[in-house]
This record gives sequence, structure tokens and C-alpha cells, in this order.
Amino acid sequence: MLALLIVGSFALLTLTYGQGSNGIQRGVTAIFTPISSVLDRALKPARDLINWVDETFDARGKNHKLETEVQALRKEVVGGKVALAENEELRALLKLDKSGAIPSEEGIVTGHVIGLSPTVWFSTLMIDVGSSDGVKIHDPVVNGDGLVGEINAVTGGASKVRLITDHESRIGVRVVPAGLQALVKPTVGEPNRLVLGFINGDKTLHKGEKVVTSGWHSEDIEGRFPPNIPVGEITEASILRQEAQEQVIVRPYADIRNLNVLQVLTGGSNE
Amino acid sequence: MILTPKIVARLVVVGLLGVLLQLTFFSQIELFHVSPDVLPALVVVLGLLGGSLTGAVSGFAIGFLLDCLLIQPLGGASLVLIAVGFAAGTFRERFEIHSRLVAPLLCAVFTLLAELGFGAVEAMFGINTDVSIFVVRDMLIKTIFAFFIGWALYAGMRRLVRPALVDEATVRRTRRPTVLGA
Repeated sequence: MLALLIVGSFALLTLTYGQGSNGIQRGVTAIFTPISSVLDRALKPARDLINWVDETFDARGKNHKLETEVQALRKEVVGGKVALAENEELRALLKLDKSGAIPSEEGIVTGHVIGLSPTVWFSTLMIDVGSSDGVKIHDPVVNGDGLVGEINAVTGGASKVRLITDHESRIGVRVVPAGLQALVKPTVGEPNRLVLGFINGDKTLHKGEKVVTSGWHSEDIEGRFPPNIPVGEITEASILRQEAQEQVIVRPYADIRNLNVLQVLTGGSNE
Repeated sequence: MILTPKIVARLVVVGLLGVLLQLTFFSQIELFHVSPDVLPALVVVLGLLGGSLTGAVSGFAIGFLLDCLLIQPLGGASLVLIAVGFAAGTFRERFEIHSRLVAPLLCAVFTLLAELGFGAVEAMFGINTDVSIFVVRDMLIKTIFAFFIGWALYAGMRRLVRPALVDEATVRRTRRPTVLGA
């Protein structure tokens, strides 16, 4: 019996690895998605309570650090007008709508998170919208802050989102205002740390520069993200790292560990 | 464990509920920036109560359902959880559990091994990016969570399947009758 189970598991793994959804998964998700959806909403208050406790402990630790930062920021108020002008320039550059995240030409389908992968190795989640809502594989997924991931598999009423922190994720990006084209990869185990590897250009990047999707793709990149979706901000850009490893570190705008309502941009071409 | 249809039905409900709660609740909460993983602990408890075969079958079924609902390659989670369930059941068949700490400790140890197993399965197909040292921290914190989750799960599951437990039935049969007025 044990041998049968192990052989069965290996056979299933071999047959289904690298595929999207199969008939069994579509059937099972069709049955359980409504139940998951109800459970997800019913358990939200309890989840929020526990996460609030965690965030409160976290906030206490950050309090002193933030006070120091506030003092430093006060000194930078003089440069505020410059920052405002830069902000206007970036908004125009990114063609953001009022929410600041979504290109206007994209169709939008809103979905709720109904399930998250429990291990640190997979960075995927399930949302309660699927092909019946117009969602397709490789559609970009955003929240109010920026890019979250892309649709990786679709069933009738649910979809799997591969987060930008999943180890298979690759995003073609552009750094603004530097204009440098690059590729962003995740670091497994650190959802707030993306690695931006240089592809072209010899410009030096600086902390605080913005990273947006470039709109291009290649053989290495499955996703077809439309251009100018905000991805994150450069947080570490030491000259040493840039020269030795051709890398800088990016913090994603979207809080990947705290996702609830997401938007799928269904208007783009996926071919 | 004596597997009557009623007990099997209870185990199926527990398995379904476990997977659904993992996806909709436990994976979406964070303590110390880490989400608890209850499924390895659940499989360990089922193995400890039901033996190696029950553990292995539970591991397969729970892993299969998890892979189906997350639209992951089927068999990956099953493979890891079969090993966990079988090992826990084998432990139960070879050793008597005298201390209340044994079940939670086994849940913690096997959760750590399961997390390593999930990583090994993924590594088998290639991880083409940096892996942070924080992965180790996450695994260790999950292990600590599993200790407490295992404690509660073992007590709850023992109560749920008590009529089917062989050692409980033996205790009930050998208990001396109460003599009133003695």
C-alpha cells in the first residue's frame, strides 16, 4: 500500500509538473472554491485580530527607528518642492490613474484571496475569479500599491496567482528616472527583497529610484506585463554591489504578506 | 485505531477542514512574520493515533487535496506528507507514548522535516534564484508553532476518535468497577 502511494505520487508529479490546471484540479476547485470563499470571509475578523497583534509588536520595535527617521526627514523638507515636482513628472511618465496603480487601457477584474500556499518555497495564492470572469493565464495582478504577480493557472471560478516573490518569477522592468532596463528576480524567504539585475546600461542607480514594468518580455520571462505598472523602489544600491554583482535591491510596493483584494488586468495581450 | 465507517467519515471531515483552514486562515495570519503550517502536524497526529498505514494514507489524501486546491503539480505535497504520516505511525507502533510532550515534539520535528521535504521536492525541479537564510528562520518558527498546534491537535483528535482507539478501549475494559458505599 505504501509503495503504491509513493509510486502514485511520483507518477502524478511527473505527469503534472509544468502544466497549468488539469481536469481533476478544475473539478476539485469548482467544488471547494465557494466553500473557501465563505470560510475566507467568515475568518477574516479572526485573521485581522491575529495580524493586528503581530503588527503591534512589530510597530513597537520600529517606533524608535521611525522617530530618528522623522528627525532626518524634517531636515529634508526644504527639498520637498523638488520632490513634488518629481512626483508629478513620474505620474505623467507612468500614466497612472487616480488610484496610482492601473494603466487606463486595461480591463479590470476584482477578486478576493481565498487561499495561500503554506510553505516558504511556493509563493502562490488563489483568488475567487477565473476564466468565466475573463481572466487568462499571464494576466498581471495588482493591488492598490503596485504589481503583485501574474495569473499562473485558471479554472472556471478561481485562478492561481504566482507572486512576484515566487522563485520562478521574472519581471522585465525599467528604472525611472534613470531609464535603465533590467530584470527583477525574488529572493526565496524574503518577500520584501527583490534583486534587480542589470541587463543593459552603464548608469549608476541610487536609493529611492522607482522601478516599473518595462512591457517587454523574452524567453526567460513568461509574464507579459504591460508597461509602467509600479513594482517597487530601490532600497540598497551600493556602488560595490553594482560594480561587482551588477545588482541592486528593490523593495516591492505591494505588501505581499498582507493581500486581500486584488485586481487582475485582463485587457492586455497575452500572446 | 479501529476504522469503522463513522470514524473514517470523521477523519475525512478533519482532513478537509484542515486543508481548508490552512489555506483560508493559517496561511493568511502571521506571528513573528511567519504563518503556521498545520498540515504536517495534522498528519503526524493521525499517524500517531491510527498507525503507519492510516498516517500514510492521510498524508497522501491531504497532500493531494492541497495540491489540487493550489493548482500545484500533483503529488509533491503528497510525497512529503506520506513520509511524515508513515514515520509518525511507525513510531507509534514501535514505542509507547507515555509523556504528553511526545506528540507535540514529534509534530515539531516532523514539521521541520516536512518543510525541508517541500524544499527538496522544489529543488528537484530547480530553484533558479537566491535563497535567503531567512528560510531557515521561517522553518524554525514554523517548528515552534507546530509544537503548540500539535499539542492542541493531539488532544482534540484523541477526543474525536476515542471510540476507535485500541488503548482507550483496553483501559475502559480493565477499569475496576466503582463500588458504591465502600
